[in-house]
Amino acid sequence: MTGLTLKGRGIVEGHCKAEALVSSKPISFLGGVDPADGKIIEKNHDLYGECIKDKILCFPHGHGSTVGSYVLYSLAKRNSAPKAILNQTADPVVVVGAIIANIPMITQVDIERINTGDVVEVDGSSGYVRVSRRVERSCI
Amino acid sequence: MTREEEQIYDGEFGWANQVCMKILVRLGELFNATRLIRISSAHISGVSYKTLGDAPIGFLKSLADANGKAKVKATLNPQSFSPEYLGKKLPKNIREKQFTILEQFERMGFTRSLTCTPYYLQRPEAGSHLAWAESSAVVYANSVLGAWTNREGGPSALAAAIIGKTPDYGMHMAGNREPTILVNVEKPLQNETEFGALGIHLGKILGNKIPLINGLKNASEDSLKQLGAALATTGMTNMFRRDASSEKRGIEKVSVEAEDIKRTIEGLSTAARHEPDLVFIGCPHCSLDEIRHIAGEVEGKKVKQRTECWVCTSRHNMEKAADYVKIIERTGAHVLADMCTIVSWTEMLGIRTIMTNSAKTAYYAPTLNKAQTILVPQEECLKTAFKG
Repeated sequence: MTGLTLKGRGIVEGHCKAEALVSSKPISFLGGVDPADGKIIEKNHDLYGECIKDKILCFPHGHGSTVGSYVLYSLAKRNSAPKAILNQTADPVVVVGAIIANIPMITQVDIERINTGDVVEVDGSSGYVRVSRRVERSCI
Repeated sequence: MTREEEQIYDGEFGWANQVCMKILVRLGELFNATRLIRISSAHISGVSYKTLGDAPIGFLKSLADANGKAKVKATLNPQSFSPEYLGKKLPKNIREKQFTILEQFERMGFTRSLTCTPYYLQRPEAGSHLAWAESSAVVYANSVLGAWTNREGGPSALAAAIIGKTPDYGMHMAGNREPTILVNVEKPLQNETEFGALGIHLGKILGNKIPLINGLKNASEDSLKQLGAALATTGMTNMFRRDASSEKRGIEKVSVEAEDIKRTIEGLSTAARHEPDLVFIGCPHCSLDEIRHIAGEVEGKKVKQRTECWVCTSRHNMEKAADYVKIIERTGAHVLADMCTIVSWTEMLGIRTIMTNSAKTAYYAPTLNKAQTILVPQEECLKTAFKG
């Protein structure tokens, strides 16, 4: 495994380690994610059909309705929320959602350096993100 | 943070206060605010079950269970139907979900205002700090009333209501309220629909710049309400200026031609023919003046068969204008309180084409109501809805 450490601005505290799911597109949680199971339901999204549950969800920033904050809360209550959220830019809708749902969150992270499937360790207090490449990927 | 704010943040005043304080502090950090300031009122969006869905009900209930209580006067945006008229036409489960949402807000001490125009219930003082979420009310408060508020999201306005404070940034700082662009409107605007069209047009080109708009000195508050609602629909602008005292030299200039207004109105009318299922006035909710004016225009007439005619307002104004409301209802039109047409279930009532004088409604109705639109001034709305 190769290692990489990124530094962002911690928004919601919490420590966890899981597989990354990375998107290059902004996400609107209202209308974009099924609040029941965490599947991306927005047709033209690059993560369409993927499930955000238990992933380190990496995307540039949020957009759309402020009701999106409540969708994150609903996902957490049904155990379908991501383990952590990494953004490039903080959008108040996602920030408030992560706070009320208690999902560790870091912004100002260079998410382009993370690939879907990488194992990522997140520390929401310090803002440190440790990325381990998947072995099979680095062997190819 | 003050000592009390830190105690709330650490959870000494319970979970509801703690989560609300966290929302405010983190948002403040994000926008580099150095402190929280007291607010005189909060206004909460995200009340209609149609836009809210099931997701937030649990959160609202948890807050109410954990003894969350509004510390300042806190008002609510409209819900998804009027109980007297539309509520009876909708399935029971929708009515019950909507009722559950309202119940949670009431447990937390929110006023059941159910209007997008909280300033008709109580006009905020000029210079007072607010945390309001309804975007049309935010622009009206900053621009017409001279109160100071950011454009809050639903949850941040809720948090501000429970804490009684908001982070000090954005529109709460005098330096951020100065105009940064001068707008010349080349031809005087003729009616409220043209004011709305100006707002839609400017919202698209201004980004978050604050415009100083020439030629609004004699505009009525009702016309400015249309302008502000439309400006907030397409843009991020929270305020417009119209006073000569804010005139500044050397700022960027832009001019709006009669053609821009005409093209905007045409673009917001998607229906091929003037045969609406619904003629709708009252976005944002009608003022007392507007209700009086409509009553004067329609007294003694009858609404055409197979046409719905709705006038939306707050319950507060409906009760105050009871005599005028009776005149309007005798014609077969409906004066509806507590609801907003664009967050109501019009498509379930078979409404496919909506005629309105509101640019904001015309902008949202194709997606939120799956309806075609016809944007025309009130005079023409009434001509179309009534016989003779």
